[in-house]
Amino acid sequence: MRYDSITEAIGNTPLVRIDPAVHGLRHIDLYAKLELLNPFGSVKDRAAWNMARPHLAAAAGEGGQVVELSSGNTAKALAVLAGMHGLTFKSVTNRMRIPEIKDLLLLLGAEIEELPGQSECLDPTVTDDPLTQFHRALSEPGSTFLHTDQYFNPRNTEAHFTGTGPEIVKDLDGRAPDWFIACVGTAGSSTGVARALREHDPAVRVAGLVAAKSDFIPGIRTIDEAHEVGLFDPGTYDTIEAVGADEAIEGMLTLNRRCGILAGPTGGAAYFGAVRQLRPIDEELAERDDEEGAERQSAVFIVCDRVESYLSYVRQRRPDLFGRPRRRNSPADLSDAEVRTAPAIGVADAQKWIATGEPLVVDLRSPYAYAALHIDGSVNIVDELFEELLHGGLPFSRSRPVLLACPVGEKSARHAALLTRMGHPDVRSLTGGVIAWRDAGAPLVRD
Amino acid sequence: MGGQPLFLEPRLESRLRSLLNVPGLLHTLTEALGSPLNVVLPDQLADNLQQFRSVYGSHHLSGQVYFAHKANRSSALLRRLAATDAGVDVASLGELQHALGAGFTPGRITATGPKNPEFLWLAARTSVTVSLDTRGELEQLATLVRKHALPRTRILLRLSGFEASGVRVLSRRSRFGTDVGELEPLLEAVERHGDVADLVGVAYHLDTTSLTEKATALEGCLRVLEECRSRGLRPRAVDIGGGFGINYLADAGQWNRYTTQLTEAVLGTRPPLTYGGHGYGLRSEAGTLRGTLGLYPAHRPVAGARYLDELLAHPAASLGGRPLAAQLLEHLYDLHTEPGRALLDQCGLTLTRVLEVRDQETGGPLAVRLAAKAGDVALEEHGVLMDPVVLPRDPTGRTAAAGADTGREPVTVHLFGNLCLESDLITRRTVFLPRRPEPGDLLAFANTAGYCMDFHATRAQHQPVARKVAAWQEGDAWRWCLDDQYWPTTPVGGAQ
Repeated sequence: MRYDSITEAIGNTPLVRIDPAVHGLRHIDLYAKLELLNPFGSVKDRAAWNMARPHLAAAAGEGGQVVELSSGNTAKALAVLAGMHGLTFKSVTNRMRIPEIKDLLLLLGAEIEELPGQSECLDPTVTDDPLTQFHRALSEPGSTFLHTDQYFNPRNTEAHFTGTGPEIVKDLDGRAPDWFIACVGTAGSSTGVARALREHDPAVRVAGLVAAKSDFIPGIRTIDEAHEVGLFDPGTYDTIEAVGADEAIEGMLTLNRRCGILAGPTGGAAYFGAVRQLRPIDEELAERDDEEGAERQSAVFIVCDRVESYLSYVRQRRPDLFGRPRRRNSPADLSDAEVRTAPAIGVADAQKWIATGEPLVVDLRSPYAYAALHIDGSVNIVDELFEELLHGGLPFSRSRPVLLACPVGEKSARHAALLTRMGHPDVRSLTGGVIAWRDAGAPLVRD
Repeated sequence: MGGQPLFLEPRLESRLRSLLNVPGLLHTLTEALGSPLNVVLPDQLADNLQQFRSVYGSHHLSGQVYFAHKANRSSALLRRLAATDAGVDVASLGELQHALGAGFTPGRITATGPKNPEFLWLAARTSVTVSLDTRGELEQLATLVRKHALPRTRILLRLSGFEASGVRVLSRRSRFGTDVGELEPLLEAVERHGDVADLVGVAYHLDTTSLTEKATALEGCLRVLEECRSRGLRPRAVDIGGGFGINYLADAGQWNRYTTQLTEAVLGTRPPLTYGGHGYGLRSEAGTLRGTLGLYPAHRPVAGARYLDELLAHPAASLGGRPLAAQLLEHLYDLHTEPGRALLDQCGLTLTRVLEVRDQETGGPLAVRLAAKAGDVALEEHGVLMDPVVLPRDPTGRTAAAGADTGREPVTVHLFGNLCLESDLITRRTVFLPRRPEPGDLLAFANTAGYCMDFHATRAQHQPVARKVAAWQEGDAWRWCLDDQYWPTTPVGGAQ
């Protein structure tokens, strides 16, 4: 496969059969359309390219900017495409809740504007909500914005009507599947694919999946939010069901661990929703099988994007999945009694000790706080780093006394206890911390 | 209406629930003092304060919780709070006088908001801390202090227009506070007036439910304080205002169902859910939903003290990623908060009597007229959707006129006020009630103490403004007195 441009690698993604041992459906072949293998990482590559392509050359000449209301994958694709054509890209959104995606977009050179949250004091007369301002700015005469308008642009749907849908039919040897299950985001892929499949076989049943209202699944809208999308037509779907975030993650883990498909939560939601939708159908088919002989059906769902961008999302909801082996010399190993009886010293005595015993004073606060005000002569080793150091052993000689200081004397007590356990003979925690030091009127410096 | 009733039941914690379980007392009170009637629960305020204090405690932060006085003008609430260690933030001359009179010493009072000369003078005269909105206000204060030989005044600088790094966080423009872009001349003025004004810190208040915006502002304040320190000033506090919110509804499912149905009503795929098809900011354009839902997020799992906790745990991205609480603590700053609504969660209710129940059309909503006007129960004004609790006058059986079989099934109603105005709707929403109300019944609007009780009530049109009583528990019994007669000593002394 040789290409002249990365954009030629968009589309023609594999259709992979999910092992029946995984999903347990006996009379339905379930296929995953692996949109995660598009070059920029998601199903949105198709729509982004199809929407932007006709206008990029003209916009580049005018030194314009591509703008889109997007919280993730469309923005990612458009940022790359804009960059490739000498344009800048701006994403305006109130939904960008995945830090990795935000960082990736910044890395790709995107500008991100986040819309403000809801007002706490309601003003029913307010007319300058940022979304209105955004559209006003776009329509100003002389503006050089290329607004791809993914929620209303028919070229979004078209990308899937002419690409994704026919590819599925081709890979199923010219047959449309009996079922198509898709998550509803911009509704572009579900609408476009559904139209292509039904043109081939009007009997295709289409299930739309939305996010449960109290949940957040990246890339999927709730039913209310779907109504805000111009491309969304409830008539496209035979059923619309909700999926929860936990279910999406469960589905994702199954695809990741048992199928080798590194799908993100959206793909997980599609898999989970597909199996839930198909299970009763499969049982019906099984009953009929006993009476009339075998009849097999097929179903396709879309894996929108990859897991890597969602680690913090998953960590927040399923910390259990990130259990790591415990490390030696960790403050977490200490008993309450050890912490309570950790060697400590009050402010007045500490001042005397510093004057006579020359202990190494270690300030465990952040460098910013340390830079602002600290005990004269102290060194700054921020607690996280200090903890890291201790995993490897004592970071200073046993012969040098040490005074540990933190804001209120809590973290320093833990570390003093740990250092004592590790064999340091003369380490003490500053009782009450730097705050007690300040409140006692002892000097703090910035240097 | 069809379909299952779309109830929006209020969240009732034990104290408010207990009071509503004594309908006899509530009927007696409204018979004696008229409808509408506001009841406040001072002890609940003290409990709520403890929740905020425990968040401070868990982050090892010191500083003050200032109750935002404007959220309720009750004397009982203020006096109860004066008996704790909380502070109060006052936004007018009257509020300042009220706070001083209720027993708050100046060290526990902050003067905020737009100020007239009298307000500014009394604040400076009594040595309360003044939160200054603009450089002009600082000049005005400095002139006052010099001219009248007043003591050196502690000041906070209220800032706005914070910018995030990396991602531009758009924020609604505030007409309060000085833009951080104008910091330089402001700090020069502070230095110039150092003999009469003592900078204790900076403040912000953002009107938003968004944690990220508030975190951005707090980070911005930390940077400003560092700038102050580098100039040799000695600030030691950040005041982050309030806006932590209340979770008004008992059930997330009800809220989700209701808002979805509202969306469908706006799109025309189900019958209207509001008087006159009002869309609460939503509209349908060619079958696509447009506009923004202008409603308070009435079901908010993260509100009040929990919201503050999450804000403090938020990482300060531009300062190395450690949580904001750790930043405040390590920089040795005090944290000041000004929760109004959130501190008044579960602190009161508004009672209204049903005057008339009228059938409008067969199967359609009933017209229920209450002895109160919209301003007395300003839930609508604040976009809070929440059902009233029906307290029947005759809890054992229905009156003869109502018949035996009515009053048992859920009904839909429109709640009208007692003003001669088409627009006087207690709520524009079609309300589902578990049973048909009758004249003489009470509708109790729960949890109105924060802004919804008296913020919008006026004496225009010579309709009575709600009286207010304070209620508290002694053993198993509920006791009460007029709001003005409540002092923290009343419960043990016994005013009745």
